[in-house]
Parts: sequence; C-alpha cells; structure tokens
Amino acid sequence: MDDVQEMRSPRTLHGGLEARHSSPSYTLGKRRTDHNLLIPEADLKGLGAELHYTQRGGDITFHGPHQAILYPIISLRSIGIGARNYVETLERSMLEFASVYGVKARAGHKGETGVWVGDRKIGAIGVRISSGITSHGLAFNIDPDLKYFEHIVPCGIADKEVTSLRRETDDMLLPSEEVIHEQLVSCLAKAFSYDDVVWKEDPSFILDNQEEYKD
Amino acid sequence: MALRMWASSTANALKLSSSASKSHLLPAFSISRCFSSVLEGLKYANSHEWVKHEGSVATIGISDHAQDHLGEVVFVELPEEKSSVSKEKNFGAVESVKATSEIISPISGEVIEVNTKLADSPGLINSSPYEEGWMIKVKPSNPAELESLMGPKEYTKFCEEEDAAH
Repeated sequence: MDDVQEMRSPRTLHGGLEARHSSPSYTLGKRRTDHNLLIPEADLKGLGAELHYTQRGGDITFHGPHQAILYPIISLRSIGIGARNYVETLERSMLEFASVYGVKARAGHKGETGVWVGDRKIGAIGVRISSGITSHGLAFNIDPDLKYFEHIVPCGIADKEVTSLRRETDDMLLPSEEVIHEQLVSCLAKAFSYDDVVWKEDPSFILDNQEEYKD
Repeated sequence: MALRMWASSTANALKLSSSASKSHLLPAFSISRCFSSVLEGLKYANSHEWVKHEGSVATIGISDHAQDHLGEVVFVELPEEKSSVSKEKNFGAVESVKATSEIISPISGEVIEVNTKLADSPGLINSSPYEEGWMIKVKPSNPAELESLMGPKEYTKFCEEEDAAH
C-alpha cells in the first residue's frame, strides 16, 4: 500500500495498556469538576493517592491497582469515525469483554457514558482528541479497592454504585491479570475490526505519546 | 510527572494489526452520515469548521457534519475577547460523550465576540450549528486565508470521501 492509502486505512493501530501496581490517583477532566472530590485534597496523601488534572473529557474518576487502563492512540480521520462512534466502540469493547465472563453489561444511557451492570458502573471512558488523534481512553475495573470511589462522585453521577469484574463474578475463579488484559485488548481489536494483537513492553513509546498530566 | 507515574506500573504498548483481507470497518455506522447539511455562502476547513465572512467580521463555528460526529455537546471552551486566533491552530475545545475535541481556527485574526450562550446551552452546537451555535467572531488579519478554504460543494465532497475512505 502506498503512504496515502496507509494513512487512510491504517494496517496498524497503536495504544497502551497500563496496569498499576501502586500510585492510586484521582483524575479530573478538562471541566475540572473538583467539587466532585468529596474529601479535602490535603487528605489524599493519607490515602496514598494523588490528584491529577488532565485535558480529557469526562468527570472525576479513580485509577489504581487491579484496573485495566487502555488508551488507543488513533487518528480518527484515518479510520473514518468521529468522537461519538469512537466512544461507542470503546463501550462495545468493554461490553464484549464483560460478556466473556457472563457479566451482562450495558452501555450508559444518555449523559452516562461508560459501561454499567444494572446501576453499577464497571467501566469508565474519558477521551481527548487533539489534531484528530485520540489520547486517554477507558478504565475497566477488574478488582480495584472500591472504597477509593467513596471519596468522589464517580464521573459526576451521584447515587450510583461502582462495581468490578470481581464483584460481578462472585466466586468464579478469575484467570491472571495478564490473561484478562489480553482478553480485553482482543475485544478492543475486534470492536475496531482488527485481527492481530502485538504486545511490546516499551514504556518509552508510551511516554512519547501519552499526554502530560498537569497538576 | 510522567516518569514518576510509570515507575510503579507495568506499561505495555500494544499494536493491533489487520491481515490483508480486513473487511469494512463499522459498516453499521454509515447510515447517519448522508444527511448532514452544508450551508451555501460559507467557507469550510478540512477540520470541519465553517466561516461566514461579512465585511470586516468573520463568524466561526463547526459544521453539521462535525456536530453529528461528536454527539451531544456538554461543554465548550472558547477564547476570550481580544485574544488572537491563528489559522490551523486550535482555539478551544468541545466536550461530548466524555471526549474533548479541539476546535481549529480556519483563519487568523482578533476575537471580537464570543458566543456566551454556549456556556449555559452547549447543545446549541448540535441543534443549530450554523446559526445559534456560532462560536466566535473574528476580525480577520489576513482575508486572503479565506481563499484557501473549501466552498460548500467541495466540502460536501470532502465529507463524503472522508466517511467512505476506510
């Protein structure tokens, strides 16, 4: 394929998957809705958590161990979709993944982007599109400490619980997190109509592409 | 900041690749694209902003095609009056469905008015992208820049090609 055609219909999509072993953090989006942090920022240190301001869409959320955080870095124009379809595709990836474990999840209703099991949120989305290229992405709760979510109004949606794959699969024996990550990424690949997944442990690639977090 | 974050986590870069016979991406989504309106009398940028040039004032917004692809707008970030915008540089952002997207200025100039209604009613961008959803009014510093923008027919074709090409 010549260069122009490659750009129009890329053979390869890139992205990163982050699996934190520590560094719990709360992140805010462009609207800086810090009124949805329910404890004083000074108390975060005591929880071992940090607060980060980002340029993504969406409200406040939590990131920590036992969550899978995926951020595709895609030129939307090159795959011919807009922001809404992109977000819907991310939602579909998570729905597909949840169904692998028999968890009946649904996409959010209007104004409640994300992936839900009943009224409990299991996956969150917050994206930035800059010069047509996506950054940030999705966070899926595998088995994070859900108590961290009590200190925020998650995604600005009050009175709705947060849940995890662990919680929704009860006493099912879950495979290792590596396997879970592979499955989640496969679901993402499938949702974008791509077949193969190649993994690289390459933090420098991610550092170059990942957005800077502003405090 | 970024380094500190990565020190304590496993980061994996991933590449999703397709084999030779990749079928059409997302065929179910093509239906909604055919009916976006393109207004006569406006100029369009390939980043989907429109410009209405009347005398010494140019009004800028995003097209029907753009708002349709964004989804419901919940937040708009616009520059202040008296600030300057530059052609092909971003001047603000819209947020929809948890995605913030930059808005690129099609021309350079000084911002003389900002649509303050968008703060309380960002949805005007969806319901009335060419009229009530206007974003900024600019005094163009280089009117020749308008020449390089697309006219309605060209822009319509551009949208069709963009949506079809994958």
